[in-house]
Amino acid sequence: KTGRASRLERKKQEKDKEEDESKEEDSCSQQNRASRKKNYQQKNSDGKKAGEEGSRQRERGKKAPTKDQKESENKEKKTNKKEKEGDDKQKTDRKNSTTTSSNSSDEESLSEEELAMLMEQVEQKKKLISTMRNKPWRMMKKLSVLREAQAFVEKFEGALGKGKGKKLYAYKMMMAKKWVKFKRDFDNFKTQCIPWEMKIKEVESHFGSSVASYFIFLRWMYGVNLVLFGLIFGLVIIPEILMGMPYGSMPRKTVPRAEQATAMDFSVLWDFEGYIKYSALFYGYYNNQRTIGWLKYRLPMAYFTVGISVFGYSLMVVIRSMARNANESTADGDDDNFIFSWKMFTSWDYLIGNPETADNKFASITTSFKESIVDEQESNKDENIHLRRFLRVLANVLIICCLCGSGYLIYFVVKRSQTFSKMQNVGWYERNEVEIVMSLLGMFCPPLFETIAALENYHPRIGLKWQLGRIFALFLGNLYTFLLALMDDVNEKLAEEDVVKNITHWTLLSHHNSSVGNGSTATPPPLDPADVPRGPCWETTVGIEIVRLTVSDILVTYITILVGDFIRACFVRFMNYCWCWDLEAGFPSYAEFDISGNVLGLIFNQGMIWMGSFYAPGLVGINVLRLLTSMYFQCWAVMSSNVPHARVFKASKSNNFYMGLLLLILFLSLLPVAYTIMSLPPSFDCGPFSGKKRMYEVIQETIELDFPLFVAKIFSYVANPGLIIPAILLMVSIAIKISERAVAKLYRQL
Amino acid sequence: MEKVNRSRDKQKGKKDTTAEVFSHSQITRLYSRFTSLDKGENGTLSREDFQRIPELAINPLGDRIINAFFPEGEDQVNFRGFMRTLAHFRPIEDNEKSKDQNGPEPLNSRSNKLHFAFRLYDLDKDDKISRDELLQVLRMMVGVNISDEQLGSIADRTIQEADQDGDSAISFAEFVKVGKLHFYLLNETAHPCFLHTLT
Repeated sequence: KTGRASRLERKKQEKDKEEDESKEEDSCSQQNRASRKKNYQQKNSDGKKAGEEGSRQRERGKKAPTKDQKESENKEKKTNKKEKEGDDKQKTDRKNSTTTSSNSSDEESLSEEELAMLMEQVEQKKKLISTMRNKPWRMMKKLSVLREAQAFVEKFEGALGKGKGKKLYAYKMMMAKKWVKFKRDFDNFKTQCIPWEMKIKEVESHFGSSVASYFIFLRWMYGVNLVLFGLIFGLVIIPEILMGMPYGSMPRKTVPRAEQATAMDFSVLWDFEGYIKYSALFYGYYNNQRTIGWLKYRLPMAYFTVGISVFGYSLMVVIRSMARNANESTADGDDDNFIFSWKMFTSWDYLIGNPETADNKFASITTSFKESIVDEQESNKDENIHLRRFLRVLANVLIICCLCGSGYLIYFVVKRSQTFSKMQNVGWYERNEVEIVMSLLGMFCPPLFETIAALENYHPRIGLKWQLGRIFALFLGNLYTFLLALMDDVNEKLAEEDVVKNITHWTLLSHHNSSVGNGSTATPPPLDPADVPRGPCWETTVGIEIVRLTVSDILVTYITILVGDFIRACFVRFMNYCWCWDLEAGFPSYAEFDISGNVLGLIFNQGMIWMGSFYAPGLVGINVLRLLTSMYFQCWAVMSSNVPHARVFKASKSNNFYMGLLLLILFLSLLPVAYTIMSLPPSFDCGPFSGKKRMYEVIQETIELDFPLFVAKIFSYVANPGLIIPAILLMVSIAIKISERAVAKLYRQL
Repeated sequence: MEKVNRSRDKQKGKKDTTAEVFSHSQITRLYSRFTSLDKGENGTLSREDFQRIPELAINPLGDRIINAFFPEGEDQVNFRGFMRTLAHFRPIEDNEKSKDQNGPEPLNSRSNKLHFAFRLYDLDKDDKISRDELLQVLRMMVGVNISDEQLGSIADRTIQEADQDGDSAISFAEFVKVGKLHFYLLNETAHPCFLHTLT
């Protein structure tokens, strides 16, 4: 009795002293009263529990002095409300936990109000857990309170469900918690998985943000290519290899008799002829069987769809990246007024404690100051306007001449290579002349443009944009000239095909007749696939040409880096001791990292991949390897042989510029592929579409045969131009509306 | 625990504004940090004790920040002085501002924080940041990687940006006006970071 009385007294004292919400207090006291009632009842009903009750009382007695101490601490605290609330909650919770721990045995008989109280307490504990971080407590204290709160929540959350629903509720809660933990772990894992982050940071602190932006772009490209590779490899190449007919079983999959002798030679393989030509890497290998294997996999349909979705995915990814960049770049638009003050007073990062990081930070602060100095200098120049304009016009005229010259050169060389291919005994040079000329043009024209651009005297950032634009025009012109010449080749092959078709037909017929003519009624032995006369298979030829161009481009890039940067750096470093003039200061000195050249090289490489992936599915795999090795190779080359730019400027909004170029290239490389799909007939004896009049007929075929009837009818209605044109107009107008709204939003932000 | 009580009582007795700024547990925590820094165990910190914090040692302005702790001409700082300086870094609470207009401004008000930062740059305490002082700061931040001439231009340009009354120096009022400087110094991120470092 005395215990109860003193408990009541203490409760009253606490009520007076604490400025808590009375609700909580009531709930506590109610609970205590209820629990005390129960304990009293139990005492009477069950003798065994008397011992328990006594020990519980003793427990409460023990808690008394600590509670007193807490009360005195409370009294002395100042007016920080938050603090108090937190502590008080902690106190009440501790109190509750002790009282409710005594209730654990009474779970089955919890009444409604107790359930509500319990729920409230659980909510309180949860809130405490979530705001734990912001509390200005010592770490040990935080940890102990946290553990206690978590234990409480875990114990009683399950008890909140009613009756049979209790288990389900507990289960749901547990799953929800596990899900949150899983999401957090997954996020951490994802951040850890970002490859090459430290490498790029190192490059950034030494060379500035523009050079680092190239590597970030490279990494992004690698990601996109990896996805494309996964698509193509998983959905086209693997099914054909696993479930399609094996090598040697069909004419299209076998090396012709005439070539078999040399099919394994390295020089032949290097030209992508021989065994490589008749492998899953190229279009010609694929069989036109509608379904293959026991899965009834529709390979031609898959091939077509994957080809289209490669472009679709790339488009989506590029546009998403552009949108993200656009959002970010508006953030730093308005600190133009106090650039230097800002830099002076706020560049240091107070969290750095590591000496090496501090060095990196010094380097980046220095670079940032230099960038701003250059910006300032550029904006302060004023010169003779007329002279400048004249020089600029002159420079542009010169450059246009160069472009036309290179375009003509390529056309000439491709035409020559066609005559070469008809000759016998072609040397290595004649076979590879086109690729060599294109690579040489790509290597020497950009520096030429830069030299001419010195006449123009632009701010480095603007000058870089012009340079990029010009190199872009160069590469584009070269590529399209190459394609045009290739188209001539294709048309010739198509004409040839008719002839060969007849020959093949007659050969098979005669073979059939001759073998049957022996008088047996048995089926004639099939003609060995290697002996069947072959059509020219223009798709594989196109694929091979593009693959060879890509490979030679890769090689030229690597050799340029090796010789132009590394060997040059070695030469300058070691020959400087015994040379007449100072190699490091004068010619040739160390190379600077050529951002524009590298970025454009990457973009055009990607354009070629997009163009060629439809005709050579293995091309994307080659590109993935190239990007991977490029990353390591170029990082090494930059750190070991390059020096930071003498004129340093910010990359700032160049990212969207690169993305814009990439988008343009995507469209431009889509055009030839779309044209060939729509208007050229596929070869009659190679590829997944052989035998059809047009490649896109595979869609019609699939709809007719694989889908229920009404789908075919729907498609036939939808394909009506009368419906498509209004749909396109509608989409265009929606796109315009959305972009207007986005611009208005940006405007409002500024 | 006893030590804490004693020092707390001392401060309470002197009706210090500092003690009102920090809460009880914050004071406890600061005191434990103070004692951990105080290797000599004589109840005061010297400059060498501060240098032991790596983030301060590496900071180009580290020496000046350490100086800010020590009152004029003294080499030792006691716990009260320690807390006083750190009180500048607490986040601003707007409800506190409106409470007490007549009393002394709390140490973590906007303008007191800016004063603190201003004093880091203004070495000779003439309430102006002159070109030479800016040059010193720049030299500390970029080392020898930029030529003196360029540093001079940067300093000139900075003064040109911020100076409004044409005296070729940045006064406190002009310092305050430098746009986002407010944001950076008063933002929650810079302060808790710094506070976290010291505590």
